[in-house]
Amino acid sequence: MAKWGMVIDLDKCTGCQACTTACAMENNTLPGESWQDVLYYHEGTYPSAQMKWLPRPCMQCENPSCVHVCPTRATYKDMDAGGIVFVDWDKCIGCKYCMIACPYGVRFYADEKPLLEPDLREIFPGADGQMWSPPYQNPDQDWKRGIGVQPPGVVSKCTFCYHKVSKAPAGAVDLDEDVPEMKEYVPACVRTCPPKARFFGDLDNPTSQVNQLIGDKHGVRLKDHTGNKPQVYYLGAGAGVPAFEPKPRS
Amino acid sequence: MNQQNILKGPAGLGLLVLSAIVLVVSFGYAFMNLSSQGHASFNTSSTLPWGQPIATYLYFALASSGLGMIASLPLVFGFKQFYPVVKRAIFLAFVILVSGMAVLAMELGHVFRMLWVIPFNMQIQSAMFWMGVFYVADLIFLLWKLQTLEKGEWDSKTSKQVGIGSFLAVLLASGNLALIFGMMSMRPFWFDGLLPIYFYLTAVASGLAALVFFIYLAHGFSRENMSSTLQRLLEGSLPKLFAAVLGGTLLFIAVRAITGLYTNNPEIYVVWRDYLFASSTYQASLWLGIVLPFVLMMMVNLRNNASTQVLVSILVFGGLFAERFFFVVGGQVVPLFKGTWEWNLIQYTPSATEWSLTIMGSALLFTLYVLGERMMNLSAEPPAIVASPAPGAGVTASA
Repeated sequence: MAKWGMVIDLDKCTGCQACTTACAMENNTLPGESWQDVLYYHEGTYPSAQMKWLPRPCMQCENPSCVHVCPTRATYKDMDAGGIVFVDWDKCIGCKYCMIACPYGVRFYADEKPLLEPDLREIFPGADGQMWSPPYQNPDQDWKRGIGVQPPGVVSKCTFCYHKVSKAPAGAVDLDEDVPEMKEYVPACVRTCPPKARFFGDLDNPTSQVNQLIGDKHGVRLKDHTGNKPQVYYLGAGAGVPAFEPKPRS
Repeated sequence: MNQQNILKGPAGLGLLVLSAIVLVVSFGYAFMNLSSQGHASFNTSSTLPWGQPIATYLYFALASSGLGMIASLPLVFGFKQFYPVVKRAIFLAFVILVSGMAVLAMELGHVFRMLWVIPFNMQIQSAMFWMGVFYVADLIFLLWKLQTLEKGEWDSKTSKQVGIGSFLAVLLASGNLALIFGMMSMRPFWFDGLLPIYFYLTAVASGLAALVFFIYLAHGFSRENMSSTLQRLLEGSLPKLFAAVLGGTLLFIAVRAITGLYTNNPEIYVVWRDYLFASSTYQASLWLGIVLPFVLMMMVNLRNNASTQVLVSILVFGGLFAERFFFVVGGQVVPLFKGTWEWNLIQYTPSATEWSLTIMGSALLFTLYVLGERMMNLSAEPPAIVASPAPGAGVTASA
């Protein structure tokens, strides 16, 4: 079985948020429930101030702290699914400990105050146990893997678009949108990226494009000191997270 | 000996009715909001998932553990002067833990699912799994201990064995509860291997506050209504123990604050500087809720005074509740990995629904406690202790 990994080249990323939008459309997430987001950071001060941005999916860590803390095994790392970390919505009790333990802030408890008004949950009330029922819903649904529109009271997260990736032909190494026979299996954020800053493939295969990029262009993992060992690598300048700095006091 | 428990009379009935009404109203309000709006009725969010209900649970669970530890003083360690409060301490520990669990149940997304998924999935890697195991064991031991005392077994082999089992369960439960926070290296404000010691100290402090308050409440805030042995304890060892644990609590807060402010890590010093010490509520709770009670308890002429003890217990209630709140929220106010989407500390004020859960827990505690006072003799003491010398001698003299 492959070990699915993602590479994001920050020298190519323009911070356009197409990936964020594609993810939200593909997975029917609510505003604020950003399984994929592009985060902006300011670093330094004039005359050397920088603006940085980091596209941020779930890191699908090799050693995921969210999995260790979950008291019910609702959150689990599925080695038979390429090492993707899933949430079983039938087991999640909504204790939110995984959200506390995730160093990357990529878990969401959508049963909260809406980020934007009007509240989409009121406009499109949920049916069949879902928190809401959008008019154009992705038919793929697998609550054991946290795929679909979640019910209330559970945690949701990026699945590396497993409903697409899992349909790739056996032995596929690179899921590249430029290869016509592969493009349907590519995660939405990768497929839609206009400057082709994202790559997706098998980290266990030495010939994969993702491994070559990591090796050739010095791929790094964010917050590697946490020991979580993400399966998402970043290339290019600015692949780091500036230390938190509060707003200057008036 | 003059023992009058006012809670067995009309005053108790009045308090029972009042607390039951508050319980029904607060539960009804929270239930209605949670049913109609879900957890959107909380002010927590995906960036700050644990709010006041978790802090309330923590406060109740630790107060219960503290009471369990106090009950272990005579039952496990042989400090017989604490016998007069043992039964009440055990019962209070039980009802406070039940109240805390009720608040936690309302906070979870799927509480009933918890009942089967935790035992059937056995995720022993999770500290939260062990929290369930140890607190259930704690509850069982508390009930068992209460039953042995009800049967009049104060010093039997069984009561000692149950006492030791209960003490171990309490240590494991509260220590593990500390590690739920203390093992989170990605939340540096919490990350601390010594957190269990801090929790033990503050647990005993909040347990003592509850014990002192409810002892006085049961006796109409008058020492004259108490047994001589209880009076002796309140004039001797108990206030000294209270002073000692408040001192230990202050020491721990000071050490955490000094190391926190000294470090360059913004995820720690910013929390201390811009969240805790910048908050007038935190300052008030620290100075009035912990420092002032400590000073009062250190003054020999004041610490034995009944009014001072009641005042201190009420102040410590508030001080340690705020301590729990700022501890839980403080570990989350620095946004994790959010960039300019969260370009400041995360703002959080509990919603009315969250407050109603805190009130519900407190009302449940009062209701169950008054019921216990009316249905059982929580002032029971072993006959040998009751027959011991009058106030002023014995424990007070030797303490």
